[in-house]
Amino acid sequence: MTIFKKFIISLLFFPLFIKSQGFQVNLQGQKQQGMGGAGTAFIQDAAALFYNPGGASFLNKNEVNIGITPVFAKGAFLDANTNNTAETRSPVSTPFSAYGIFGLKDSSNLKFGLAIYTPFGSTVQWQDNWMGRFALTRLELKVIFFQPTFSYKISSKLGLGAGFIYSTGKVNLQKDIPVVDNSGTYGHATLDGKATGIGFNAGIYFRPVKKLSIGLTYRSQVNMKVKDGLATFKVPSSLSENFPNGKFTSKLPLPQVATLGFGLHATSKLDFALDINYVVWKAYDTLAFDYVNNTGSLPDTKSVRNYKNIFAFRFGGQYKITENFTARLGCAYGITPVQTGYVTPETPDANRINYTAGLGYFFGKNFKMDFSFLFTALKRKDTNNETNLSGTYKTNVVAPGVSMLYIF
Amino acid sequence: MPQKIDKLLFIIISIGCLASCKPKFDVPKPVKGNIDISRYIAIGSSITAGYADGALYYEAQKVSFANILAEQFKLIGGGHFNIPLVPASSNGISIIAGNTLNIAARSTFANRTDCKGIVSLGPVKLNPTENYGFFSSNIYNGTLPFNNLGLPNTKAIYIAFKGYGNIANNPSGNYNPFYRRMASYPPSSSILSDAVNQNPTFFSLLIGNDDVMAFALNGGASDTITSTLRFNYHIDTIINNLTKNGAKGVIGNIPDISSLPYFSTIPFNGLTIDSAQVVQLNNLYSPLQININFTVGSNPFVITDASSNFLGFRQILQNEYVLLNVPLDSVKCNSYGSLIPIPDKYVLTASEISLIQTAISDYNIKLKAVAQLKGLAFVDVNSFYKQIKTGILYNGISLNAQFVKGGVFSLDGLQLNPIGQALLANEFIKSINLTYSSTIPEVDVTKYKGINFP
Repeated sequence: MTIFKKFIISLLFFPLFIKSQGFQVNLQGQKQQGMGGAGTAFIQDAAALFYNPGGASFLNKNEVNIGITPVFAKGAFLDANTNNTAETRSPVSTPFSAYGIFGLKDSSNLKFGLAIYTPFGSTVQWQDNWMGRFALTRLELKVIFFQPTFSYKISSKLGLGAGFIYSTGKVNLQKDIPVVDNSGTYGHATLDGKATGIGFNAGIYFRPVKKLSIGLTYRSQVNMKVKDGLATFKVPSSLSENFPNGKFTSKLPLPQVATLGFGLHATSKLDFALDINYVVWKAYDTLAFDYVNNTGSLPDTKSVRNYKNIFAFRFGGQYKITENFTARLGCAYGITPVQTGYVTPETPDANRINYTAGLGYFFGKNFKMDFSFLFTALKRKDTNNETNLSGTYKTNVVAPGVSMLYIF
Repeated sequence: MPQKIDKLLFIIISIGCLASCKPKFDVPKPVKGNIDISRYIAIGSSITAGYADGALYYEAQKVSFANILAEQFKLIGGGHFNIPLVPASSNGISIIAGNTLNIAARSTFANRTDCKGIVSLGPVKLNPTENYGFFSSNIYNGTLPFNNLGLPNTKAIYIAFKGYGNIANNPSGNYNPFYRRMASYPPSSSILSDAVNQNPTFFSLLIGNDDVMAFALNGGASDTITSTLRFNYHIDTIINNLTKNGAKGVIGNIPDISSLPYFSTIPFNGLTIDSAQVVQLNNLYSPLQININFTVGSNPFVITDASSNFLGFRQILQNEYVLLNVPLDSVKCNSYGSLIPIPDKYVLTASEISLIQTAISDYNIKLKAVAQLKGLAFVDVNSFYKQIKTGILYNGISLNAQFVKGGVFSLDGLQLNPIGQALLANEFIKSINLTYSSTIPEVDVTKYKGINFP
């Protein structure tokens, strides 16, 4: 067990970092990641607590499943006016997921579970003095969901489940201010705050025939509220009264997601899964900062984000090569919620295709390891309405992940 | 078992590092189109010279739009661009109001105390580090002639004037000490001859501003506006000489004075008074029956205008300008603009403004026409300044023509600061690319500074 402890402890200290569909992370469960991120109607392990709480009751044993997916993202920007380029210096980051599911008896129809995972977040750090530094130099966003869940198997064909979500997170946004002191140093603003929110995750799992399963889930919107943020300004001393340090409030809506999933269990060795997500990003229409101490230079700000609702399609297959050894492949296509004129250096998002692969291996009866691998490359050209920053963003993302499943 | 897992994690992370290659861009190489940029000469006045904050100084010269252009030209085969730099250690140099012996340095933005003891930030003149000897030592070097022939306070009519650097011409006003310093032969060379002798392949011309500016800056109290006829003749002379060997070039027109903070910063109704002062002033002025009235709050300043009535003063109109160089202490503490009419030299009346604007508009017609006739690139600098006045947004920086706050103009309220010069350079680049099918990249304006705050 010591390795588990070490692993869990190390997870808690990792910074989170992700780029995916706005600032949404879809890196939960290595089996599902290997299959393009589909798993709403294909229940394999305790990650079902995230993918479909209704399906979790179909797991026969108690399980603990812990995974981590280091994300390596390299971003770059080509300025349309100057042909100058800039790069991100974002840290490697590690969204994690931990799922535990327990029944009073292995065969009981009622299961309880706890899921702790990172559904949203991104840290983007641009290189020093880049051309967009008055728009953004760094954005760090961390969100962790704690989701206690129950799942009930109504019949051998139908399961229902729901979980309450308590969300905690932090945001740290930094940019330079276009005022210079006599030594040539530019002003700098740091907005830092903690946020909390609540919501729920519910799902239905239905397996009418052996070869086909259907899942329908709904994760509610979670409004992350920053109540007591701290704004810090480094400006030339003669301007310090114009930019007073002080409190601010803000909020960030994490969107509701409805998912329809299908599982096709073609043979005893071969399975396919398809998920269709509908993400209600429209809730993210404005990013507002309300400063307690306003001045002529420091008014409250309302930045229009104008996200649109989107679909994402996730598809994958799994083949059991031997009784203990499984291989997976998948891909996903996601439409970006960020509309033309609203692409920012904080989330230079684009329509995307994720390519994924995975392997699983049973070490004996109780212990399984799964590996996943994700690659995606983004490209988006835009001129931002709010800043006039104009150019092409490119981001390459590689996310290899590993998880351990302990069955008891 | 634990060791194995550690190894596995390490391998996975390594794979990630290798596989996550940096995104790359295929950046097209700049092409020069149909211009030969090997010998570029800039002709113009203060903006071309890189005059800012009320003086010519090293850092501002380095970021004159002409020098920024020359740096970008290097991407398409441009050569060395030699500038008559003022030493970096200098506080800068300028000549006060036509008096060639009265020297001033540049301004910085610093705290100063007004007549009421109130401390506030504003332009503060540095002490001159140069004396008049600065001008008398000629720095021309025949093997490395100056490419930036932009000269502070220079009218179009002086570009071809032989002996413009000859101090003997000072009494007649046909002398510029800045040219004396850099002329190939001060007694008889001209800016134009210095340019043509280098057989330029490309030139920029931004001239005409100073043909109205000496008049405008002195509130119309001295100097004259160059007549359109003379202006046109001299523009033709300049262009014909520059293009006679087939050189290509770019011509800019000039901004209207309404776009410049020097003329728009001090509000016409900046006289703020209370009820006691209103009574006092009205008691004083109403018996004169010259239609001067005051109310509590904002009031139009009282100005000198010989043509107004038998007393020669009146209240300023909304469309008239109080200039930025009006002594504000006199306004605050010595009844300037209320009991004492603001002197003529600090005020542009509607008729004076009309003379200036008509001249600018006429010059601009000529400048555009000659560019079209000769197939040269043309920059609508006037529109560019108007855009600034409306407000522009560059990579998240909001800019406008407000004095100091606007972020584009230098502390003299007339010339551009480095950000302004970079923006102007980009206008030139756009026009050159359009006319000559070149693809010179613009410069990143965020790399240039505005005003330094203490």
